[in-house]
Amino acid sequence: MTSSRRRRVADVALQSGVVEVAEKVDRAKVLQRLRVGDIAFRHTTRAAAVTVLVILSGIIFSLVYGSLPALQKFGFNFLIEESWNPVTEHFGAIAPIYGTIVTSIIAMIIAVPVGLFIALFLTELCPMWLRRPIGIAIELLAGIPSIIYGIWGLFVFAPFLQQHVQPFLITVFGHVPVLSTLFEGPPYGIGVLTAGLILAIMVLPFITSISRDVFDAVPPMLKESAYGLGCTTWEVARYVVLPFTRVGVIGGVMLALGRALGETMAVTFVIGNAHRISGSILAPGTTISATIANEFTEAVGDIYTSSLIALGLILFVITFIVLACARLMLMRLNARLGQ
Amino acid sequence: MSMATFTVPTVTNAASNKEDLVEKVTVQNLDFFYGDHRALKNINVSLYHGKVTAFIGPSGCGKSTLLRILNRMYDLYPNQRATGTVRLDNDDILAPSQDLNLLRAKVGMVFQKPTPFPMTIYENIAFGIRLYENLPKSELDGRVQQALQRAALWEEVKDKLGANGLSLSGGQQQRLCIARTVAVRPEVILFDEPCSALDPISTAKIEELIDELKEDYTIAIVTHNMQQAARVSDFTAFMYLGELVEYGDTTRMFTTPSDRRTQDYITGRFG
Repeated sequence: MTSSRRRRVADVALQSGVVEVAEKVDRAKVLQRLRVGDIAFRHTTRAAAVTVLVILSGIIFSLVYGSLPALQKFGFNFLIEESWNPVTEHFGAIAPIYGTIVTSIIAMIIAVPVGLFIALFLTELCPMWLRRPIGIAIELLAGIPSIIYGIWGLFVFAPFLQQHVQPFLITVFGHVPVLSTLFEGPPYGIGVLTAGLILAIMVLPFITSISRDVFDAVPPMLKESAYGLGCTTWEVARYVVLPFTRVGVIGGVMLALGRALGETMAVTFVIGNAHRISGSILAPGTTISATIANEFTEAVGDIYTSSLIALGLILFVITFIVLACARLMLMRLNARLGQ
Repeated sequence: MSMATFTVPTVTNAASNKEDLVEKVTVQNLDFFYGDHRALKNINVSLYHGKVTAFIGPSGCGKSTLLRILNRMYDLYPNQRATGTVRLDNDDILAPSQDLNLLRAKVGMVFQKPTPFPMTIYENIAFGIRLYENLPKSELDGRVQQALQRAALWEEVKDKLGANGLSLSGGQQQRLCIARTVAVRPEVILFDEPCSALDPISTAKIEELIDELKEDYTIAIVTHNMQQAARVSDFTAFMYLGELVEYGDTTRMFTTPSDRRTQDYITGRFG
């Protein structure tokens, strides 16, 4: 125990005797050693962060490089032409772009309100004993692989829609102007609406769990002061909880929208994979990711492959625009609130 | 049991204006439970109109709990219940049929930390008014200005009503919260350690404000600051371990307390 680096001192607290404390070490030496570690740490973290940039620029570069042949051949027309003909090697991307956007819109129209209501119920109204089961169910829903949504959608959900829901929609809205175009044509079962509904189910857990977490983070005192003025639960949710958490909620919605835009497998199963634009959401269509997933194996020619890569580039750009819009929206919200 | 040192609140040394006292809130035989834990034991106390009643005592003695019963705030949380009688005028606050939104509009509360809503200064005030009254814009403007003047904040914010409530300083935010509470025209205002997060100057302003507000309202204030209790209150209640040990005229409580524990606490021997 008595090493050369320890010396004996009297201790006032331990009146019985003495204890040993470490000898003072050379401070400069220790600092020197720490400094080396510090520099190594800084470089390691920076390298990790730079990796992200390298990977991202690599992906952008290969997308642009791979899509150049198609973009050079078709030019701007690639964005606005509907025909997608592998035989004549004539490609236009508007049908998949349209399908991607419409299915995502349908999904968000359904999933955002439902998801927010579930989260509000869980955080504000739900009795304690019911909170865990619903929370776990939501997490399980998020854990289901998309291929399962795909086969379930194709074999169970689509036939159900075909037999029960779609005929009903056609009869009810068939004679209403505007809506009649939206619900026109025979009930195929599969189609844009079905894909949108499946997407809504798939993104629901994202919206719910993120909004639940941010709602839980609202300071109880803030909610209490709103209740203290005599607010009802709805008023507290609408005017205090939602404005307070809007950044988090919009973040969750954008994450969900990103997933809806890019979701491939489940959509490929139920959308029908038809390269055309139809005013009716009951008609089959296609999305960017579904097209790529369906056709990359049979893409033999250079132009065909390049067109598929160009589709990927477009999806990338759409996602980027969505994120940019989200940022803009937040900035304008904050400006309006005078922050 | 030796806990009930007295049962019915009797006001001593306040003979000069005793006949003027109007009981606004009456608490009788109140017990409160967090699950199985009995946090308040047989509380009897009254709050008088136009008077400030201070609740003092060491942390965890049940002061805030008592305050949160008066507007049924505890109702938001499961496993909390109160037994006994609490009356606001002749209205039984604890009755299951009590309309909580209406009760909370009548019994306003200001919290430990400022809690401005995530909206503009103007909206922070107008929000509460709109819940119950549908006023034309001009009248609403007037009410907002009146509330802010009442809270001695108008001069500081009149040029930036559109700014976010969170952009104000801590003391200003707390006065904004008081203005917000006053704006809905409550009858009782509960202050739960309103100055614990504020600097001495802001504290002085809030105390001044409480002194002005008591003309029109019944005020209860929980505080850890004995000087504050002595400065702002007309009556003081000392609570210890869930019991109301002693209650009476503030001057008497601080000069000649009748209970040993009160004396120990206010002289700083424990707590």
